[in-house]
Amino acid sequence: MKTTPISSSLPIATLLMLIPLTSALAHTGTGVATGLQSGFLHPITGFDHLVAMVAVGLWGAQLGNPAIWMLPITFPLVMALGGLLGVSGVALPLTEPVVALSGIALGLLIALQVRLPLIVAMLVVGVFAVFHGYAHGRELPEAADPLAYAVGFVVATGLLHLCGIVIGLLITWPIGARAVRACGAAIGCVGGYFLLASLGVIQ
Amino acid sequence: MRGTYRLVAAVVLLAPSAAQAHLIDSRLGDFYGGVLHPLTAFEEILPWLALAALAAFQGAARARWLVLVFPLSLLAGCALSQLLNPSFIPGITLALVAITGLAVAAAVRLPLPGLLGLAAVMGLVHGLQNGRAMTATTDQLLFIAGVTSIGYGVITIAMGGAIVFLRGAGGWRPIALRASGSWVAAVGIMVLGLQFLTPGNN
Repeated sequence: MKTTPISSSLPIATLLMLIPLTSALAHTGTGVATGLQSGFLHPITGFDHLVAMVAVGLWGAQLGNPAIWMLPITFPLVMALGGLLGVSGVALPLTEPVVALSGIALGLLIALQVRLPLIVAMLVVGVFAVFHGYAHGRELPEAADPLAYAVGFVVATGLLHLCGIVIGLLITWPIGARAVRACGAAIGCVGGYFLLASLGVIQ
Repeated sequence: MRGTYRLVAAVVLLAPSAAQAHLIDSRLGDFYGGVLHPLTAFEEILPWLALAALAAFQGAARARWLVLVFPLSLLAGCALSQLLNPSFIPGITLALVAITGLAVAAAVRLPLPGLLGLAAVMGLVHGLQNGRAMTATTDQLLFIAGVTSIGYGVITIAMGGAIVFLRGAGGWRPIALRASGSWVAAVGIMVLGLQFLTPGNN
């Protein structure tokens, strides 16, 4: 039997030995970092949530003062109440269809430039905020770090509102106002797609 | 053969091992341990920033008192942490997040004793909480000095920044600050709810 000389087997042994067999342990901040990341990405990766949040900012900008700031301040607070429902494990029916419906409704309101009284506008947005908060809140108890998860998704939601408001500032120009209405129509379409998907019509 | 031994030695030395976590206390000394401890906890840094914004809404003349009251309360809380160990601290800490956030969202006008009372309660509670992180080997004086210093630094810079921000032109500035307060309040309400609604957390 021919034996392999040690000089030629050593490089292979070296290679094999350098392949790590143990996993790299994380920094102590992992719980916080993972919680923050998953919370931050939750509203952004759900496209139905994303468009509805941008729509809140857009609609606020379209309605002008004081709605432009009343809606983004009240939304997180009402969303927190929805989040409480999610945390407590209460079964809120039809969450996904209502979230999709919020995209359709807000998109239509923007596209048609519907000017509702402030209190009615806040009620409309508030009802949807409960369902959005519920959807995020359901994940809260399982999060790596619930507090960091909450910070992540509230900040992401707020920044999406801000995106909507900044896009909505285009309404100072006539062509910009049309662009904002077009954005509303697009948001309505996205909401429609997600409504059909949540009802099982589209696979 | 000599070359082979060298190679074996190099392989052994280069063999990868698991990267262990960094513990701030063990690496940077107790003063920096104290400095970093409150900064790594959202339940402390969020209400600090909210308190700074709330003070800014009261105007510079009233807000200035916090520069003294807040760090001293932290100091007192840390110092008392070795004697007191109340079980309600985590609940109060989360309640403070919700309360300060709501106060900023509503831009509440507080009388000076109210503002100072809130700062003193927060300082004491957070001091007690941070002080618990001290172990038998921690240099308590350095750790407490670190916590007090960072409390002074954060509250002074955040409050100064918020006052300057509010002085700028544009009606949107107080609104932006109030909106950020509503974010803090939303986080506080949900996590406080989680604390009380989830079985096993109480």
